[in-house]
Amino acid sequence: MRVLCCLDGTNVEQVSKSTEMLLATQSLTLGILYVIDTGPRKDIEHIRERFLRPPGPPRSREYEMQQAEQGAAQDILNEGLRYLLNAETLQRQGRPEREIVNVAAEWQADLVIICPRAEYGGKPVIGPRSVGHVARFVLDHAPCPVLLVRQLAREQFPIAQ
Amino acid sequence: MFLFLPVPEIWKTALTSLIGLATLIGIMTRPFRWNEAIIAMAGAAVLLLLGLITPADAFLTLFRDWNTFLFFLGMMGLSALAEAAGLFDWLAVQAARLAGQSAARLFLNVFLLGTLISMVLSNDATALILTPIVYVLVTKLRLPVLPYLFACTFIADTASFLLPVSNPINIIIISRFPLDLLTFLRLLFLPSLVVIGINIGIFFMLYRKQLKGAFDIQRLPSAAQAAKHKAYFRYTCCVLAAVAVAYVIASAIQLPLSLIALSGAVLLLIGGLSWRRTSLRQTASRISWSIFGFIAGMFIVVRAIEDTGLTTVFGNWLIHLSGSTSFGAVMVGTAGAALGTNLINNVPMAVVMVSALGGIQHASPVIQHGFIAATMFGCDLGPNLTTVGSLATVLWLLILRQRNVDVSGLDYFKVGVVVTPLMLFVGALTIWLLL
Repeated sequence: MRVLCCLDGTNVEQVSKSTEMLLATQSLTLGILYVIDTGPRKDIEHIRERFLRPPGPPRSREYEMQQAEQGAAQDILNEGLRYLLNAETLQRQGRPEREIVNVAAEWQADLVIICPRAEYGGKPVIGPRSVGHVARFVLDHAPCPVLLVRQLAREQFPIAQ
Repeated sequence: MFLFLPVPEIWKTALTSLIGLATLIGIMTRPFRWNEAIIAMAGAAVLLLLGLITPADAFLTLFRDWNTFLFFLGMMGLSALAEAAGLFDWLAVQAARLAGQSAARLFLNVFLLGTLISMVLSNDATALILTPIVYVLVTKLRLPVLPYLFACTFIADTASFLLPVSNPINIIIISRFPLDLLTFLRLLFLPSLVVIGINIGIFFMLYRKQLKGAFDIQRLPSAAQAAKHKAYFRYTCCVLAAVAVAYVIASAIQLPLSLIALSGAVLLLIGGLSWRRTSLRQTASRISWSIFGFIAGMFIVVRAIEDTGLTTVFGNWLIHLSGSTSFGAVMVGTAGAALGTNLINNVPMAVVMVSALGGIQHASPVIQHGFIAATMFGCDLGPNLTTVGSLATVLWLLILRQRNVDVSGLDYFKVGVVVTPLMLFVGALTIWLLL
């Protein structure tokens, strides 16, 4: 069974815990994927256009941006490897939602594990709009089953009328 | 051509208006992704070729606005050379260190840093130089990128009317309608602080969930890494401090601000060349030369339209819409400038408004001041509505989204629609109260 775990920099523990139930599965292959989101870079280009400047920032700045992105991606994947030993690391660049479903198809994943959205602290979010646009897109478009891993939020129940 | 042919005035007016309109539509829609400068210069060239404006008149128009051209040059030079000294990187690292590992405090510091940079070095420096630096910083710190990116882009415009030098648009307007520093500060400083407060408040509310975390200070680059050459860095800080003081003095005694900006840039360039931190070619490559073509083209096109009397009619219409009251002047001026700036770019809109305001000289000084302050306010803050460009860009993005194509840029628009109308209304109200 080939399981693709989608990391976002905040969810490695959650994802690794969810793989524990799969450990008994025979011939389990884990893949950890991190996608460098190119959306913000495009936004920066749009802003430059608005200020009547050529699209790309100066070359030295461009290089710094790439270095920072690559560094963060490598850091996140290494962190993933500490939790999910022997996993195959996959790194892509583009719109995360599209890259995840494309990699799931290309890597022939049998299961995609994803969290609803990146959590930066505070109580876990439940309710409407608690599933972010990336997870929603993956649920809608993935070529295989998707396991949506929520944080435990039992203290927020029962839900009031 | 029409200079030598007996053509009725009505035809000249119609043709000039048509060319002016085509130029503005061209800038708005940018067919075949043409550069705005080419479109503006093509409009000016057609007017000159057809004799709808004389070469002498065109030259005089450009010569009269030398302060604007030199200010753009000085401002871009100052920012580029300060960037070469590593000043912006150093400031961003300091902002992160002072945040004490709190994502929320770093968010606030980005706003404050953006305000400071916009105030002294103009909104261009914040939007174009600080934004990528903050992107690198928050990527390294593994914080959510978008809130910080939005903070930079929005504060660039929100803090761009604290001082006359905070936005080149202010220089375009002040060059034609000189406002002494005290009047400028009386009318725009407090509204600026009010809208900055609104901007920060709403953004904290919108991104409260993403700002709860902390970051690891170990991931920060050291301040020494940012300032690569200490002597040039210190020299840059001294020159910029002197430029900031000189800006205030020059504004107070109504000396052309371009001279200060340009002198500062020359001093930085001399320092950069002596310490071999930059070269003439490097500095020149950081300056957007096409902007000068764009402004020159727009000045000529609007001057030709002005000669037909159309902008005077537009000015009178603005007075009529305002009901000849100071409240109406501020509201109409703000709404008109903000809307126009989202249809075309804010530079052509400011040029059009300046020309129209030339026709309201018969109005009372309070109404005139109301219109002038509102024009600056609307043209400076208005772009926050469609930060990614004009309304045409946003419509195009919406069409793409409908076709299920995921696009960047729409997030900006969603935030802009929430925050900008409120800032425009409250800011305009504050200007009116201060008139």
